[in-house]
Amino acid sequence: MSTTIKIRDLNQYYGKKQALKNVNLTIGTGMFGLLGRNGAGKTTLMKVIATLLPKSEGEVTVCGRSTGHAREVRKIVGYLPQDFSMYPNMTVYEAMDYLGVLSGLNKETRKKRIPRLLERVNLQDDKRKKVKALSGGMKRRLGIAQAILHNPKVLIVDEPTAGLDPEERVRFRNLLCEIAEERIVILSTHIVGDVEATCEDIAVLDEGRVICQGTVTDLIAMAEGKVYSAEISKRELELLKKEYIVTSMLTLGNNVAVRFLAEKKPFASAKPCEAGVEDAYLYLMHLERGESGC
Amino acid sequence: MERYWEIEKVNLKYNIPLHILVSVLLLLVSPLLMGVANLKAQDTAKVLEMYVALIGIVLLPPVFLPEQDRNIRDLVYTKYVNGAVVYLVRILGNGLLLVLLLGVYVGMLAHNGCEFPVGKFFLGTLAEMLFMGGLGLFFYGLCDHLVIGYMAPVVYYITAVGSADKFLKMFYPFSMVRDSYGEKVWLAAGAAVLIGTGVWCRCRGRNC
Amino acid sequence: MLGHLFVKECKQTAKSLIYWLIVLILVFDFSSQLGDMEIDRKPEPGQEDYGSRISNDPELIMKSTLGELMEEYNRESYTTYPIGFMKTVTLDQEDDRRIGEILEEATGIRSREEAEKVIEAWYTAQSEAMNRNGKREESMAMGPMEALQAEPSRNLTYERFGELMDEADEILGGGSDYSKEYRENSAREPMTYEEALEEYDVLTEKDRLTGGYARLFSDYMVIFLGILPVFLAVTRGLRDRRAMMQELIYTRECSSFTIMASRYLSMVGMLTVPVLVLSLLPLSKCMSYAQTAGIQTDLLAFVKYIAGWQLPTIMMVTAVGMFLTELTDTAVAVLVQGAWWFVTIFASQGRIGGGNYGWNLVPRHNTEWNWQGFHDGFPQLLANRIFYAAGALILVVLTILVYEQKRKGRFRIHGKILGNRKSKSEV
Repeated sequence: MSTTIKIRDLNQYYGKKQALKNVNLTIGTGMFGLLGRNGAGKTTLMKVIATLLPKSEGEVTVCGRSTGHAREVRKIVGYLPQDFSMYPNMTVYEAMDYLGVLSGLNKETRKKRIPRLLERVNLQDDKRKKVKALSGGMKRRLGIAQAILHNPKVLIVDEPTAGLDPEERVRFRNLLCEIAEERIVILSTHIVGDVEATCEDIAVLDEGRVICQGTVTDLIAMAEGKVYSAEISKRELELLKKEYIVTSMLTLGNNVAVRFLAEKKPFASAKPCEAGVEDAYLYLMHLERGESGC
Repeated sequence: MERYWEIEKVNLKYNIPLHILVSVLLLLVSPLLMGVANLKAQDTAKVLEMYVALIGIVLLPPVFLPEQDRNIRDLVYTKYVNGAVVYLVRILGNGLLLVLLLGVYVGMLAHNGCEFPVGKFFLGTLAEMLFMGGLGLFFYGLCDHLVIGYMAPVVYYITAVGSADKFLKMFYPFSMVRDSYGEKVWLAAGAAVLIGTGVWCRCRGRNC
Repeated sequence: MLGHLFVKECKQTAKSLIYWLIVLILVFDFSSQLGDMEIDRKPEPGQEDYGSRISNDPELIMKSTLGELMEEYNRESYTTYPIGFMKTVTLDQEDDRRIGEILEEATGIRSREEAEKVIEAWYTAQSEAMNRNGKREESMAMGPMEALQAEPSRNLTYERFGELMDEADEILGGGSDYSKEYRENSAREPMTYEEALEEYDVLTEKDRLTGGYARLFSDYMVIFLGILPVFLAVTRGLRDRRAMMQELIYTRECSSFTIMASRYLSMVGMLTVPVLVLSLLPLSKCMSYAQTAGIQTDLLAFVKYIAGWQLPTIMMVTAVGMFLTELTDTAVAVLVQGAWWFVTIFASQGRIGGGNYGWNLVPRHNTEWNWQGFHDGFPQLLANRIFYAAGALILVVLTILVYEQKRKGRFRIHGKILGNRKSKSEV
């Protein structure tokens, strides 16, 4: 059986508004990052794959199964929405057990698998805790555990690290990487750092269109030779901002250390730097406003 | 003052148009269900107490509804204006709507030749409306549960229909039919306590 | 999977506050109405009173119907049920005059003053008779033991009486106490020892005692069961959204049929349990009396009546709650069911004695007697109950279809897209 997600000519409409425009993607095993601004269409795309939205036009197959056959797809897909919770009065274990039944797992499998998964997401000591007593990070981890409860071939996670503290975020990313060893994991985020740290393949969405698809290295290559840093005065900063895309800045007394994007060396004191994913992403978005990307 | 008016404007625009519509519809269909012209005092009381007063249940409990979502509630409570003030403004606004609707209805009854003490019946029905609405508000606030907020006054009403004043005593809602008004004073006082306690429960954030 | 889910849903229901409130209300309903229920004893010869029954005697029918007409004419206010709902009718001058003529032709009473005198004389005589006999006054709900009667004119035939009453009914807009259906059930007459004994024998032999009490029990319970299940169904329906769990459930493999059917069955089941438990009390009373009186009771009578009489109501109300909540994601079902309950209860107020079950969601039979009425009305009751049970199942199927569509992203009112369109309170 195929172990890829194939999306061909996908168009998605909400009334007159087109949320996805002619999307073509092939996603294989491993972590796949879906980058884009808020409202770029990431959640819509994920919901189509997770059978939560009917596709308007085009074809989407998940491991050879069309999303039109929702039940078949649901068997092999795990989904973690951006905003979710569980019945607050249930304990962690009860919530997992309930969702396990809904996933068609028999009692024996649930009994075996749930403790193992809770241990994997480091919630083994909280299994008797009520869901309402969990912290944001714990709830996210429980979310991942429920999403892989039925051992799906595909895991879809929508903005999973939003609102997590740095430590939780790192732990969460690592967890996703572990899970991705044996399945397709689609991670949607507008936080570039998450993708940089975890994903091999990525796609960038903007206003419903895929403006870039490839590896992280491909993306970075686009910005190679276009990233500079310089120490300038605060007055000069305003001018620089008008001309170039400033990707970071740090105030040093009266001066500011800036990192920015430019097609060629803009002034003598500007030092070329190694490009990162964030630089590349911003560069791509900048190009998108003018001309098409990679 | 302007701030309170702003709160009420938002309430009227976003929160309760549907509830107003339902209340108006309930009143509009009443002539199809029961006589509303040339009634004697006892029959007029029946129409007001057993039917018209029900709009109190429709209009009062939903004042907590816009903040049903915990996140929205937290957001509102952190604003400069106290959450309780927002609720009280809405309650006052919805209460005035009740006064208005009831006033129009009572006026219609009087105009249609029903013979009844207008002022007494108006105030008596209003007390019952506020009590039933207050009962809903109180249970909604206490249990953080809209459905329980509706259930409480409905059960109260059914008890009154089924067992008369056997259990409800001075809180019996249909007393005007018997030409008795003492109960209405209790209902008005009860309404004040229930509404106050309901808002207090809600704002304390400790719900069962 | 359905079985597992059913058990889980039952457990969830058992943990919900609303469920226990409903149980509490049912217990209250039971204890307030039937808590001090006494089993009817066998009538003994020489008793002062053997109760009353509906009469087929034309003379009596005329007397009591005309008594009613006289009373209403005097009050200038007529109670009718044109669409099954109590409506008070006051007539204009011309119609009022015509009713006066009808009353005059039927009874010879010529004016309101005369009518008032007759009424006063009647009540004075009644209360004197009661005081003389030391009888307790009946409860308010039952009214005085003997309803007001008016003596028909000597030359009034039963046919002419029928014509006059039909005309009065027409003037009042139909559904009045003078319509054929009502007037033939209006006359009550005191029972003799033999008649009372016969009725007792019917209760103990045909109904085996338990049947009559199971009907009475059903009558009281079904009033509350005509509304309470909707609260549970709405709460359950809104729970997924409230807990932000909808999408986690939508993406599961489990079919919409299994999810919804397990919820529905668990709610109906959990609502039936307290009714079954409560029925043990009247059953035990029946049993202990039957033992001393040597009556063969039907141990399963209450279960049969709960299943046949109350369950279809529970099923329907739960289904209405589930369907409307799933369709709208709001508590609108409370309003709809509340309105339905209101009309149902008030519409059947004049027909609570049993036998007239019609298509009422809440069939009434507010007495342990009247086996004959039950027997005669049984085909209608059966049709009624099957109709509601089937209607409930159709609503459940519709709910499943709506749920299936929502899972696929259609019909969603509070989804991200439509949710954004809906304005939220800013304050």
